[in-house]
Amino acid sequence: MNSSTDPSDAATLGATSRRDLLFRAANGFGALALQHLLAQTALAQTAANPLRAKRPHFGATADAVIFIFNVGAPSSMDTFDPKPLLNRHAGEPLPESFGSVGGQFTDGTNPILGTPWRFRRYGQSGLPVSELFPNVARHVDDICFVRSFVTHSVVHAPAMYEVHNGRLFATHPSIGSWVTYGLGSESENLPAYVVMPQPEGTPEGGTSCWSQGFLPSVYQGTLLRPGPNPILHLKRPAGMTEARQRDMLDLLQAMNEIDSGPLDSEMQARIAAYELAFRMQSHAPEAVDLTKETDATKRSYGLEQDHTREFGTRLLLARRLVERGVRFVQIYSGGGPLSMQWDAHKHLKQNHEKMAGHSDVPVAALLQDLKQRGLLERTLVIWGAEFGRLPTSEAGNGRDHNPHGYTMWFAGGGVRGGQAIGATDEFGLRAVDRPFIMRDFHASILHALGLDQNQLWYLHNGRHEKLTDFGGTVIKDLFA
Amino acid sequence: MGLVGRALTESLATVAVCLGASLGLAPLNAAGSSEPSSQYWSFRPPTRPEPAAVRTAWASNPIDAFVRQALREHGLEPSPEASKERLLRRVCLDLTGLPPTPEQAASFLSDPSPHAYERLVDSLLASPHYGERWAQKWLDVVRFADTDGFERDGYREHGWRYRDYVVRAFNSDKPYDRFVREQVAGDELFPASNESLLATGFHGAGPRHVTSGNQDKEEARQEVLTEMALGVGQGLLGLTVQCARCHDHKFDPISQEDYYRLESFFGATELKDLPIASEEEIAAQEKAVAEHEARVEPLKAQLEEIEEPFNTQVRERKRAALEPAFAAALEIAEDNRTEEQARLAKEAESQIKPVWYEIVPLMPPDTRRHRADLRQQLHALELHRPDPPAAAFAVANLEEAPPSHILQGGDYRRKGEAVSPGFPQAVGTLGLEAPSVGRGRRSALARWLTSERNPLVARVMVNRIWEFRMGRGLMRDPNNFGLLGGMPTHPELLDALALRFAGEGWSVKAIDRLIVLSSAYRQSSEMDPKQAAIDPDNRWYWRAHRRRLSGEAIRDSALAASGRLNRSLTGRPVRIPIEREVYDLIFTEAEPDNLWPVTPDRHQHDRRSLYLLNKRTVRLPFLANFDQPDTMTSCSVRQTSTHALQSLSLLNSDFMQDQSRSLAGRILRHCGESDTDCQIRRGFEFTLARQPTPAERALAGSFLRSESGALHDFALVLLNRNEFVYRP
Repeated sequence: MNSSTDPSDAATLGATSRRDLLFRAANGFGALALQHLLAQTALAQTAANPLRAKRPHFGATADAVIFIFNVGAPSSMDTFDPKPLLNRHAGEPLPESFGSVGGQFTDGTNPILGTPWRFRRYGQSGLPVSELFPNVARHVDDICFVRSFVTHSVVHAPAMYEVHNGRLFATHPSIGSWVTYGLGSESENLPAYVVMPQPEGTPEGGTSCWSQGFLPSVYQGTLLRPGPNPILHLKRPAGMTEARQRDMLDLLQAMNEIDSGPLDSEMQARIAAYELAFRMQSHAPEAVDLTKETDATKRSYGLEQDHTREFGTRLLLARRLVERGVRFVQIYSGGGPLSMQWDAHKHLKQNHEKMAGHSDVPVAALLQDLKQRGLLERTLVIWGAEFGRLPTSEAGNGRDHNPHGYTMWFAGGGVRGGQAIGATDEFGLRAVDRPFIMRDFHASILHALGLDQNQLWYLHNGRHEKLTDFGGTVIKDLFA
Repeated sequence: MGLVGRALTESLATVAVCLGASLGLAPLNAAGSSEPSSQYWSFRPPTRPEPAAVRTAWASNPIDAFVRQALREHGLEPSPEASKERLLRRVCLDLTGLPPTPEQAASFLSDPSPHAYERLVDSLLASPHYGERWAQKWLDVVRFADTDGFERDGYREHGWRYRDYVVRAFNSDKPYDRFVREQVAGDELFPASNESLLATGFHGAGPRHVTSGNQDKEEARQEVLTEMALGVGQGLLGLTVQCARCHDHKFDPISQEDYYRLESFFGATELKDLPIASEEEIAAQEKAVAEHEARVEPLKAQLEEIEEPFNTQVRERKRAALEPAFAAALEIAEDNRTEEQARLAKEAESQIKPVWYEIVPLMPPDTRRHRADLRQQLHALELHRPDPPAAAFAVANLEEAPPSHILQGGDYRRKGEAVSPGFPQAVGTLGLEAPSVGRGRRSALARWLTSERNPLVARVMVNRIWEFRMGRGLMRDPNNFGLLGGMPTHPELLDALALRFAGEGWSVKAIDRLIVLSSAYRQSSEMDPKQAAIDPDNRWYWRAHRRRLSGEAIRDSALAASGRLNRSLTGRPVRIPIEREVYDLIFTEAEPDNLWPVTPDRHQHDRRSLYLLNKRTVRLPFLANFDQPDTMTSCSVRQTSTHALQSLSLLNSDFMQDQSRSLAGRILRHCGESDTDCQIRRGFEFTLARQPTPAERALAGSFLRSESGALHDFALVLLNRNEFVYRP
């Protein structure tokens, strides 16, 4: 045995939470749910599908994850972790008691930079959010802010790897692959793990951020783009009609049957994969076809505004994918040229207003939309980055990297909203109350999905590899 | 909880207790003992086992005696020999990675001699494709790629010369002990030989952590050392030495001190490109570069001229937006600046530097087009930039080796006790000395590795060969001969092969030949429910292990079937065209218009997959979908997962469309438009190297005679068929 999810020990689709959910919400898309169920049943008969849904280790509070990763690192003290002392001491050095500070280009000796934005309290919880996110702010009662995350590199790529795979190196599978490995897929017509990078380019960590590492390629993150050809090689070649391809597949499958005995699950799996590929060719375009969405929905995601249209489209797609049983959606705000990243070494104000301008309305709409459809309950939404930014200035008006304490937030999927966990010091430099490392972050996500971090392992080069390696602490307060 | 799940740890703890002192770690001992400190089987020298006295027609060579004995012990019978067609396909794919050609098929299938198979095997062992096939395997183990990986993922200008060294080494049947010595210490042991210098690319084959921004030099150095120790540990010794980087190994008798003593052999070693070109070659290259620059220069000048006014505009705008302190510092004449002002001014300069995405939008449309056009011309010219003078992707020794330390928790900032080079105590020194001076450390390691008394190196390699050919290792995980690797299924066979290997000149080809000529290898892979009930995983080899081909072999097979395969050997890596979606995944903050300069000679695009540029962060989807390893860690056995993205690649990708068109064309050239029977027959010969059965003839016939039955679609079906992507 070389894995913790031996095919024989996991009942096929025992936990039907998502399917139940589809039926509960069936008023809105009954036909889709039925079609979905039929397709599932057909495939469930094929024993050899490594992606079939697997039972979690214990009761899950979430079935799906949407992880919004903000490339380049938004500043915590300018968004969700207010530090009134910053403006009071702007222009002064940090008190000497803070000691030396590790940034990437600066060492903390630059003067403190005040925040250009005001904070207001929102919701019943009264949690503060800055002017950068007035729309997300309306959902604070559904959000749990964890203000004390720590990563271990001041350089983007290694810190990104740490957030995605728990190591400072690109040597291990990403969390999306681990989750897919642990839970399989609830969609038989779409990939289980979908990645949507910024069209302008990838994060510094590159494709390694969503790599399946040493796991088999069936657990890979599948790139998905908006438009008529969402998945690579999905589109039939010019001149190839569906009917013609069906004829061809019929011949292929007849020959494949010749190669395959009744006990031959490996060959049967290959036959099933062709049928799934055939179905995917119609289902994936349907999944990304936004014409069926109401104008109101599209408007809410900002599809009518130039500055929000692109990110809004991807977040709307994320909702549609999760609705159709996709397990893990990894989505990036920012990537490629510096002008399209949150990496505000200079001109913090312009940079963050631009980047938050792209994302505030769509992120708020996603939360609203998921909630309205009853999907937020079982969908864990994560907003995060590789680190935060320093309280001191760079270039007089920017901020350098700060992995010593920063905020990520969670909503849905069993999360108890309207609270903030952990704290940074009075200037937002270091996590001082309940610092959490990425192993804790990952253990908590697995926990929401009903996965025990120690039971989810894969034997690679003689070592039982796990996402959380030596083990993390589940942030129990995160959950209701 | 530690390394593994609780239940697992407990069961293993029990095992460890049972093994008692045999696994115990020796106390710290700088000198080291000649004798192994461990009694665990893999650290003890192989014993010469008596082959079982099984005399049947089936047992055609010593391997079979051992296999047959184990089968008998488990109540199993060997399977009948595979059909000639299947055996042909199997042994061609195994030994060369390519399907049989129609000529190979015709000559073998029509040869009634009992020696026909042996002759076929010998011709395959002599084929230059044999070394290519082995190279792919070896490069998986040493996690070779053409780029560094991580954020920068820089191209290694000369990395491919190590790949070619490996191809040549297997083709010439270089004795494995020499192969190991050259890779570990070729520069020290055989300084006169360029080939041995190339071999040391082994140490740099893995990823290299280079990021932008400030990087801690000591940390980076530590990562290089770790990769070097890993290469020897996993690749040559089959030990999970990396587990002892942070703490004593939890299961194997490898202490943290052992690990850092192993690393210390590389204390003086640095990765380096070393020139191997002659003076004439260098002079010729310099001349060619000068000529090239002269062609490029006017284009560059034109581009500069176009961009200049916009650069100025952006620079002025950004200068006006500088924070006052920075702006002021810039105003002061350079010579009059204080230290602080100089720092501010330097930073201000970098802040006001124009970036492409700032200047391009300012240009009027025709200027923008003109600029894009010039850049295209420039990129087209740069495709013909003369190659740099030949250099070895190699290693060199520093004059002095910096002191090595045990690092607590594997953290380079937490230095513990100083250590000097030393051999793992579980194995012992084997009577050899580990020098503490800079030069010669790796030579000592190489000598120890290839000592006839080393219990691991020969065993590990024969097990790799066995796994490669038989589909399952005698040790299931060829990279782990430690406790968690379990016991070999056939310990006596493993030892017999290891002794024969080391005792008879370390010839990989000889072991290969022995294996593929055995009856065990030649069995059918047919399922037998009764035997499967006893041994579902086929641990005892009652049938042959059928295996999905690697992505590389599927691509190569398609090229071979279509008749387009370019069979030339070795050389610079080839960049084939990639999909737009893949291009967009190349990380850059620069202008993204020349990130993947496709190799201009289209004939090169049909080279074997081994020669395609392997960029760690940009995987070719066709290969990646079929479980190509990510090259970040050693891969001893390929994964084989089955999923829909593979089907989509095989049905819809440009590559497969091209190949099926070419295959259809090849069939047409032989058969013409109307001879359907001929088309079917040829289609089967070109793809599966056999004749269609009547049932297949009927299926294909009714397809081709139907309205929609295009020959191109038939060709694509053949290339998608289970049989085509499996080694039988």
